Amino acid sequence: MDIATFKNDVWGREVLLGVSWDLLWVILIVSFLFIAVHAVYKAARKKPRKPSSDGPRLKRHDGIDRLFHWVMAASIFVLLITGILPIIGIEFSWLTIHWVAGIVLTVVVVFHIVRSLFWQDLKSMWISPRDLKEPFDDTVKPGKYSLAQKCMHLGVTVLTLAVIATGIGLFAMIDTPWWNRTNSLSEATLGWLFFIHGLSTLLLVATISLHVYFGVRPEKLFYLRSMLKGWVSRDELDANHDASRWSPDESA
Amino acid sequence: MASFDVMPNVQLYQPAELDDALELADRLGEQGWLLGGGQDTYGWLKDRAKNPQAMIDLNGIEALKGIRETADGIEIGAATTLRDIIRNPLLKERYRLLVDAASRVASPQIRNVGTLGGNLVQDTRCWYYRRGLSCYRAGGNLCYADSPEGMNREHALFGASRCVAVSPSDTATAMVALDATMVINSVDGERTVPASKFFAGPATHITRMTSLEPGEILAAVRLPSKWAGKRFYFEKVADRNVWDFALVSIAVAMDVSDNVIGECRFVCGGVAAVPYRLNKVEQAARGQSLGDATGDKLAPLAAQGARPLNYNHFKMPLMENLVRRAMRG
Repeated sequence: MDIATFKNDVWGREVLLGVSWDLLWVILIVSFLFIAVHAVYKAARKKPRKPSSDGPRLKRHDGIDRLFHWVMAASIFVLLITGILPIIGIEFSWLTIHWVAGIVLTVVVVFHIVRSLFWQDLKSMWISPRDLKEPFDDTVKPGKYSLAQKCMHLGVTVLTLAVIATGIGLFAMIDTPWWNRTNSLSEATLGWLFFIHGLSTLLLVATISLHVYFGVRPEKLFYLRSMLKGWVSRDELDANHDASRWSPDESA
Repeated sequence: MASFDVMPNVQLYQPAELDDALELADRLGEQGWLLGGGQDTYGWLKDRAKNPQAMIDLNGIEALKGIRETADGIEIGAATTLRDIIRNPLLKERYRLLVDAASRVASPQIRNVGTLGGNLVQDTRCWYYRRGLSCYRAGGNLCYADSPEGMNREHALFGASRCVAVSPSDTATAMVALDATMVINSVDGERTVPASKFFAGPATHITRMTSLEPGEILAAVRLPSKWAGKRFYFEKVADRNVWDFALVSIAVAMDVSDNVIGECRFVCGGVAAVPYRLNKVEQAARGQSLGDATGDKLAPLAAQGARPLNYNHFKMPLMENLVRRAMRG
């Protein structure tokens, strides 16, 4: 199976056209299989004690960060739907919705970058050597974010920045209320933009699928609640986190 | 791009029944090329710009031919030749607009074999696309016509979305003006689509000109009695008076009583990927008297909202003047 598709440019030279969208089905099947295998594995394992959500409530996410998360999630879903459905044959007038959602995503990501640099603890998302022991040693507990969450964040960061960077390039190639398209990029450059944009999209499909799956797993539901309501209980913190590495306020 | 004098190796099916054609169309999907009069087929195939596996010749299917009176107007089979449309007394009497539009298609020789269906569903004439370049319409990722160096004299003023090609069909404007209904058949049965929704712009369908799905066949067109015998005007402006495509055309249907315009349709060809309705002109025309004064009032509305390209600004005054001419009493 090809990863990329090619075409001949106006001079007859072979140039990159974009990603091979046949990969979409591979991505979906692999993601589904991973999720199915993981679900079976977790079901077969002895379930640990479910921590209580009663008791003191500790703040995990500020309201502004929760709002950012859900706006970003909504924009990414809109982008994926409007970007992929026409490719699989469900045709509608998608382009304007797509770039508007792209602008929303860009704005919230820029906001998040600024906020994380100046108002948040950037180190809480860094992957340290100590984090790498987590999957292999049950006694090692994470700080605010687990290794899996940090990896997910890193993946989403890289892929989102890739789709935004290439999306801005492609955005210049269409007419908008603010400018007429330039068509200033060579076909080869345009092909690379489409390839990276498409490949990042495909990998985001896999990443988001896993993110949603882990978000709704029974033992992880308290994280979903914390992204909705902002808090975790003392018992949930003690069961899943190392209080010496993350000690949130009791202000939720 | 290489030129060829000969047809590529392609299978030819000549069904005699519509059901057989539908089965073939369903089985072959996008690899099956529906053949009407063939006037827009052989160029594609000889240039190797389109490479279907098979052609499904619809000319042997009698059910797709003929002009029939119905309870609410007239039904025309999609394989009816343009010549038969031009010569039909019923159409001449009631739907002169379609007769006028059909009589301006190409040349007498082409009209003798060209079909109504073929004229309606024909592909765009954009020379970049026709040359076989991998533009948006051909599944690529850019438009050669809408570029700083693009030659786009014959391209769109309205409704462009990445692709700036226009619909070349003369009869399509008449169909929209007459509120025609397109009858589409497939193995799943029959569906009807208003002409205004049958033609598809690039925002929705960038690789095709109509809402026909693979496996579907345009079987007939129904003209409602609503517009029978009303006042019509059709004019086509092209570089040549014969055997050429419209730079701009206009099809107008008006319900005129005591020289006052009631309901009306103003539709332009050659300015968008679909027949382009002049909604503002229609609204402003209602209640007005036919005549030059009204024409002068309506003309400035014709090209409002146009987004001209490098070389097609001339289409804007052309549209305005066509509206003026349509309004002459």
